[in-house]
Amino acid sequence: MAHLAHYKEAHPLPFVITHWINLVAMICLIITGFLIHFPVSGTMGVARGVHVFFGFVIFINCVVRMIMSLFVKSAPTGGTRKQTADFKSWLPQKDNRHQAGAWIKYYLFLKKDHPLSAKLGVPQKLSYLLIPILIILMFITGLALWTPTAGALAGFTSFFGGAMSVRIIHYFGMFVFIIFMFIHVYLANVEGTEPTKLMFFHKEHGGLVYDPDKHVIVGDDNLQPRNE
Amino acid sequence: MEQETSTVDFGSMLEARGVSRRDFLKFCGALAVAAGLSQAAAPRVAIALEKSVIGAKEGGLFPVLWIEGASCTGCTESFAQIETPDVGKIVLELISLNYSDVLSAGAGYSVELAKKQTIESGSPYIVVYEGGITQGFGSNTLRVAMETGEEILCHAAEHAAAVVALGSCAVNGGWMAAYPNPAQATGVQAILKKHNIGTPVVNIPGCPANPEWLMSVLVQVLMMGGAEALVAGDVPAVVKTLGLDGEGKPQGIFGQTIHDNCERRGHFENGEFVYEFGSKEEELGYCLYPLGCKGPQTKSNCGVTMWNNRRSWCIQAGSPCLGCCEANPNDPGDNWVEVNTPFYERHRDLHIGDWFFQPTVVAGAITGIVALALIIHGFGMKKSGRTDGGAPFEQRRAWDVKNPDKSIGQYEYSIYEDNDPVVLQKAQQEIAKQYEQATEEVAEAAEAAAEIEEGR
Repeated sequence: MAHLAHYKEAHPLPFVITHWINLVAMICLIITGFLIHFPVSGTMGVARGVHVFFGFVIFINCVVRMIMSLFVKSAPTGGTRKQTADFKSWLPQKDNRHQAGAWIKYYLFLKKDHPLSAKLGVPQKLSYLLIPILIILMFITGLALWTPTAGALAGFTSFFGGAMSVRIIHYFGMFVFIIFMFIHVYLANVEGTEPTKLMFFHKEHGGLVYDPDKHVIVGDDNLQPRNE
Repeated sequence: MEQETSTVDFGSMLEARGVSRRDFLKFCGALAVAAGLSQAAAPRVAIALEKSVIGAKEGGLFPVLWIEGASCTGCTESFAQIETPDVGKIVLELISLNYSDVLSAGAGYSVELAKKQTIESGSPYIVVYEGGITQGFGSNTLRVAMETGEEILCHAAEHAAAVVALGSCAVNGGWMAAYPNPAQATGVQAILKKHNIGTPVVNIPGCPANPEWLMSVLVQVLMMGGAEALVAGDVPAVVKTLGLDGEGKPQGIFGQTIHDNCERRGHFENGEFVYEFGSKEEELGYCLYPLGCKGPQTKSNCGVTMWNNRRSWCIQAGSPCLGCCEANPNDPGDNWVEVNTPFYERHRDLHIGDWFFQPTVVAGAITGIVALALIIHGFGMKKSGRTDGGAPFEQRRAWDVKNPDKSIGQYEYSIYEDNDPVVLQKAQQEIAKQYEQATEEVAEAAEAAAEIEEGR
């Protein structure tokens, strides 16, 4: 067992909820998006309704999540119960410094040992920084294509070369989401399902203890004698 | 009012053309709708028309120059197909068509002279421009009467009260400007902007433009108060009278999408679609969306105005909308031929150089490659034993090893301190040093012993 301990402090309850909402909204959006583009008999009305509804849900959820990150505290790294304001572990941290190369080498099997990391490794951090931008882009392009708001966004539509271009940007954006989900689900689970159990069900697992101030592994915690 | 509308002159004019009073008012109602007004405005239109036609008898016709650029004359053909006897013809008599490449009876020197006289007369006239303007080959592909295409448009537009860019080619190049566009064709507005000509442009896209759209613009300009504004050169008033949007298109005509007013919209909402021509679904008149209908993104009131004297229109005839009214005068790339082909696909083709592809192909291929790469990577992770908790952690960041003075981690606190490579190295060096020292000491002691033995 080489992974860091998985403590609840990494994912406070509000973020467990926003993560669940993201999951449900994204899956519904992708399915209904496909149904709108490749219509199946009898589904168009429902698909469009659900798509618009979850479009608003995922956008509002994204905004709420970002605002909460300013004041909700979370563990800045795995393997610790210490907490700092969440946005600090969303932005690049000291623990990330000089580690991008190490991560790439690790995943290309050019480095044998596991790089030390912040809560998010460098590739993850970059992708999580892009996700809110992508959600906002998808929301705006979606609104530009939705009749009730299309008029107000006519200038935006023209800027991107007309409705067809906006439609294609929105369509490509969905594939970026799908690719992100593939990579995200893969990386979160390839070394064991403990991170997923923690993220969705708040189930803790023992492991190595990391000190986010000293930036090194300082101990081992098997979670057994916690009450002593 | 009653007396005014039953003026003998006008009534006999209608009668002479076999048009009943009832037909005329019906037409006025339709014209009002086409112009973006309500049916209730029909009497207002009728009065305006009557006054104008009566005025026409007194010689107050508004001169119009109808110039062909890089066109197929389809817009002229469409306009000319208005049936006779038809009230539309009477409306046409409110203009004096001084020049038309296609319709003028005269030819050569005489029509060119008529055009020249109109331009130089000093009194207001309107230019209807049909087709794109080629800038390539020195614009010589449109050379007529010793002038290049660009010069013809600029000379005519410079002194005109307004230019009506009729048809998608005139709006932003249309077919003429489609890839690869070797003639560098573009629309009227772009050319006027290039030559700093401030004459207002009314854009009426379509391939061809519906004749009733032009009719409604002419009615608005010439009779609903637009003429005074035009003569006065009051551009904002012209824009307001015609209800032009940011692209110079009359909003009453191009303010809503085909989809908004489509007669098959109910089938769309119900999810009843035609997936294949010749199918049962097509027979039932279901929605043509899966066959690449561009109705949801094409702004035009085709479904309201319809075509060929309101007989039918594309979608009623069973064709998906090809989006021929998509034309942004400010953006040559937002050209209906570019953005709406292939016609029967939901998306346009994208291209890199001469390689054309559908967005779905590229997006699907990239997604598939990523998925495949992850599967292969997963086998690699399994093989290297990382799937059970990952590889053991590095004891020291590689960068920290190279830059011990700027180290991120404080490794003295690390549980790996005992077998930390740097610590080990230091320990080994220490041991080697001690060993060397000890060896030296032994050697010294041996030397001393030897000396003692010798001295004995």
